[in-house]
Parts: sequence; structure tokens; C-alpha cells
Amino acid sequence: MIAFALEIGVGALMLLVFIATLVARGDDRRWVGWLAAAGTLALTLLALPLSPAPAQLGGAFVQDGLALFAKRLFLAATFIGLLGGLSLPGRPFLRRAGEYHILVLASLLGMLVLASARDLVLLFVAFELMSIPLYILAGFAKREAGAVEAALKFFLVGSVSSAVMAYGLSFVYGAVRTTSLAGVAKAMPDGDGLLILGLLAVFGGFGFKIAAFPFHMWVPDTYEAAPTPFVAWLSVTPKAAGFVALFRVYFEGMGTAVSFWVPVAAGLATLTIVAGNLMALPQQNAKRLLAYSGIAHIGYMLVGFAATSASGTAMVLFYLVAYVFGNMGAFLVVEAVARSEGSEHLAAFRGLAQRSPLLALAMLLFLLSLGGIPFVAGFWAKLYVFWAAATAGLYWLVLLGALLTVVALFYYLIVAKRMYIEAPPATTRVPLEPMLALAVLLCALGVVILGVYPKPLVMAALRVAAPLF
Amino acid sequence: MAAPGLSAYLILAALVFTIGLFGVLTRRNAIGILLGIELMLNAVNINLVAFARFEADLAGLVFTLFVIAITVAEVGVGLAIVIAIFRVRRTVDADHLNLLRG
Repeated sequence: MIAFALEIGVGALMLLVFIATLVARGDDRRWVGWLAAAGTLALTLLALPLSPAPAQLGGAFVQDGLALFAKRLFLAATFIGLLGGLSLPGRPFLRRAGEYHILVLASLLGMLVLASARDLVLLFVAFELMSIPLYILAGFAKREAGAVEAALKFFLVGSVSSAVMAYGLSFVYGAVRTTSLAGVAKAMPDGDGLLILGLLAVFGGFGFKIAAFPFHMWVPDTYEAAPTPFVAWLSVTPKAAGFVALFRVYFEGMGTAVSFWVPVAAGLATLTIVAGNLMALPQQNAKRLLAYSGIAHIGYMLVGFAATSASGTAMVLFYLVAYVFGNMGAFLVVEAVARSEGSEHLAAFRGLAQRSPLLALAMLLFLLSLGGIPFVAGFWAKLYVFWAAATAGLYWLVLLGALLTVVALFYYLIVAKRMYIEAPPATTRVPLEPMLALAVLLCALGVVILGVYPKPLVMAALRVAAPLF
Repeated sequence: MAAPGLSAYLILAALVFTIGLFGVLTRRNAIGILLGIELMLNAVNINLVAFARFEADLAGLVFTLFVIAITVAEVGVGLAIVIAIFRVRRTVDADHLNLLRG
């Protein structure tokens, strides 16, 4: 049972929030959100001392180091995301706060199971449990035309990708005659055409979820119209879950057959880095800018994936942690500014350093981390990923990634210039809700601590990635 | 006449999948796109059942049941979103849903 502790915990928390929603009276039911956030924090703390447990359900559910590493990350990221969303204004978030939090927890449950799934059926079910609540959450403000339109686009692209993925899974099953991923890994070295076809289709399905080019078109629209604290969470955790599942399906137990995926991953990485960075350049809306920059970051993680080695996998895990703090933090600052100025346009950031120096400093840290400047988390993340790719002999990919990092720095520094050099339109401070401030502070701490002292996390990532190969 | 073999079922499934994908890409009406997605997922079921039948392996049938259940959940959410969009915009035509650009 101990292997399922976290999943049972999240399920129980969902029930608790559900009951609290039923007994809640009045129009402001946001207090149930505190329950969800406190419960997630408790589960995060519970996850820290857990140690790997033997496989359950006939090997379909494994609680190994990789799963635990991923689950701690998902729980911590969800806690920060819930913290940022606690004080969301607006009627839907007051009256329907219970729904919001139950859906977030349902998606979290899907991610936790996905990190442990070693069976095609469980993998597919967990993947859908993660995805379906996200469609509803994207359109949560259902009276706003933009929000429902974003939800429809997200849903259509997401469910087509699920269908492609399921079609691929059916071929994988047909080729190996078992639904166990260990069986798939065993059959891979023979290179059966049906199996390769199936796995490529599954890769496409994952590509949509992690938003790799050319499967990225839902990202900017959904990010722009969905509630920002939710977007902060959406932009990091499902992608982290997608990468962990990729490692499970394509790396674990495959031995030397992993080299088959090098050209696929390297090609996708190239396209994603180039497209994400170039399309981010002309953006004037902060959320769209971060959406395209997020696509570029997925490309950098695919560089680590293309290394198809234990160190490459570990460095992608490190990158994911750095990306969680940097990207979530940036989105949460956008939320704070947008709530005060009523606009997500970059012009809203003018003179932020004079109005709220600490908020501007936090945003600067996040931007520097995303841009990969030394002594914040993102620098080590990029360096390690490039180092792993260079060790695997992918020099051209490293060169391309390094070149486009400069492009990325340009659009991050445009935001910094708005904050630090331009004159503010008003001199009043940007009001900041205490819980949103706490969430931003946690992200800033994560970025700085990982930037100054990355060693323990790198070692932990290397330890959990080693058994995959 | 001999009973159709495994490849006949796989070709049927591939046809159904392609028709569904074609519908998704060309239909302008959101309900039509949903129908296309439904077809694509049913192609998966044909595949799974055919493999389970010819390999005499039960796991494929179990997989099919899960795919059916998930399809229903997914289409349920999809229809709810389409209804929400119709209430706000009075249209479900994909060409008119163009608020978000850039």
C-alpha cells in the first residue's frame, strides 16, 4: 500500500474538497482552496522522506527513484500554483472555487500515476486523467468569449493528439502482444516496423502535450485566455509529466536500441528551438511572449532527450525543476501586474522597478533564469543539457541552441528594459496579495538556491536516471 | 469464401482513422470536428479488438473497454465546451472563432 500513498492522499484530498464544497455556504467559497493548498503542502512534505518501493500490480505501477523525483516536483509545483490562484478575483472563482480545485487535483492525480505507469493501458488512462481536467480549467471563466474559445482549441488539439497516441498504442500492442512496457523494451531491438510506426505515433501524441513544434499551436491562445495562475501551473507540470512518460516509454530498459530516437528527438528539438524563439520576438502580450519562450524551452529539453543517455535524462530532470520555478514565477508576476493594471501588454510593466522594486527584481531573476544567465538556475540547466548533448556527439545541436539562446536573451531583456529604464505611468505601488507574494517568493528562492548551489539536485537527478539505461 | 484476415481489419481501421482525421481537418463546424475525433478513436478500438482476436490475448479487449470509457469522457467534456461557446458567441463555426490571434 505504501507505494500508492501519494495517489491515495490526492484522492482523499479531492473527496475532502468535494465535501467542503457541498457544505460551504454563501457566495465566497474560496476558503476551500486553502484546504486544497494545505493538503497539497502536506502531501509534498509527506513525499520528501518516501523511498522507492517494489513494483505493484504485476509490474504495471512502479515507485522507483524517477517516479518519486517526478512526484515531488509535481506536488511542489501544484502547491505553488494553488497558492497563486487562492485570491483570484471574479465571480467564477468565488462561487465555483470547489470545482476549480477538484479539477486541478484530478489532473495532479493523473500526473502522479503517469510518472509510475509501466503499462500501456495505465499510461493511457493516466494521460487522459491528466489532460481532460485541463480542458475544463482552460475555459473555467465560461462567460468570457476568449476563455471558451481557448478551451475549445485546447480540447480539439488535445483530443486529436490523444486519438493519434491511442492509435499508436494499438499498433505497439499488436506488435508486442503485451501491454507491459518492459515487453515493449524487450521487443525494440528487433525493430519491428509495426512497433516503430506505433511508437512514432505515440511520440506525436506526447509532442502535442509537451508542446513541441509543430504541435504547439494551442499554446499561445490557451495561455492568453485562461486564468494566469492556472496557466503558470499548466505551462510547467503537464510538460514535466510528459517528459517523465517519454523517458519511461522510450528509454527505460531499451539498452542500445535508444539510439533509434536520436534523429527524431534532435529534429524535433531543432524545429522547436528555432520556431519558439523566433515567434517570441514580435510578441507584445506578456503571456504570449512567455508561451512562445516556453515552447523554446521544451526544445532545449528535447536536446537533453536527444542525448539518449543517463546524464542527458538527468539534465532534463534538472532543467524541468529550474523551468518550473522560473516559468511559474514569471507567470505569477504577470498575474500580479495584470491584476493591478488590467492589462497583460508589455507596456503594463513600464517603470515597475520604481513602483515595486522587489516585484521587479523577482521578475528580473525569473527572466535571467529563463534566459540562462550565470548564477541563476536556468544557466546550469542549459549548460548541463548542452554538455550532455555534446558528450553524445551532437555538436551542431549545441551550437544551434547556444546561438538561439542569444535571441532569447534579446526578448527577455526587452521586458527588463521596460521595467528598469522606462518611466512609470503612475507612482503607486502594484498591490500584491499576500499568498501570491508568497508563491512568487518561493519561486524566486528556488531559482536563486538552484543557481548558487545546484549540486545536490544534479546528484539526485543523476542517481534516479542511471537505472533507466 | 475465406474469413478476412488480420490485415483486412487493420486496413478497415486505417480507413476509418483517415476519414476521421480528414473530417477534423476540413470540417468548419465544431460538432463535425467532434464526430471526426470519435471516428479516430473508434479506429483504435477496431485495431485493438482485431489484434486481441488474432493473437488470442485478452489484454487488448480490456484496453478497448478503457478506450471506450475515455472517449465518452472526452466527448462529454467537448460537447460541454461547445455548448458554453454557443451560449456566449451564438456560433460553433470554427471560422468565426478567431478572437485569439498573434
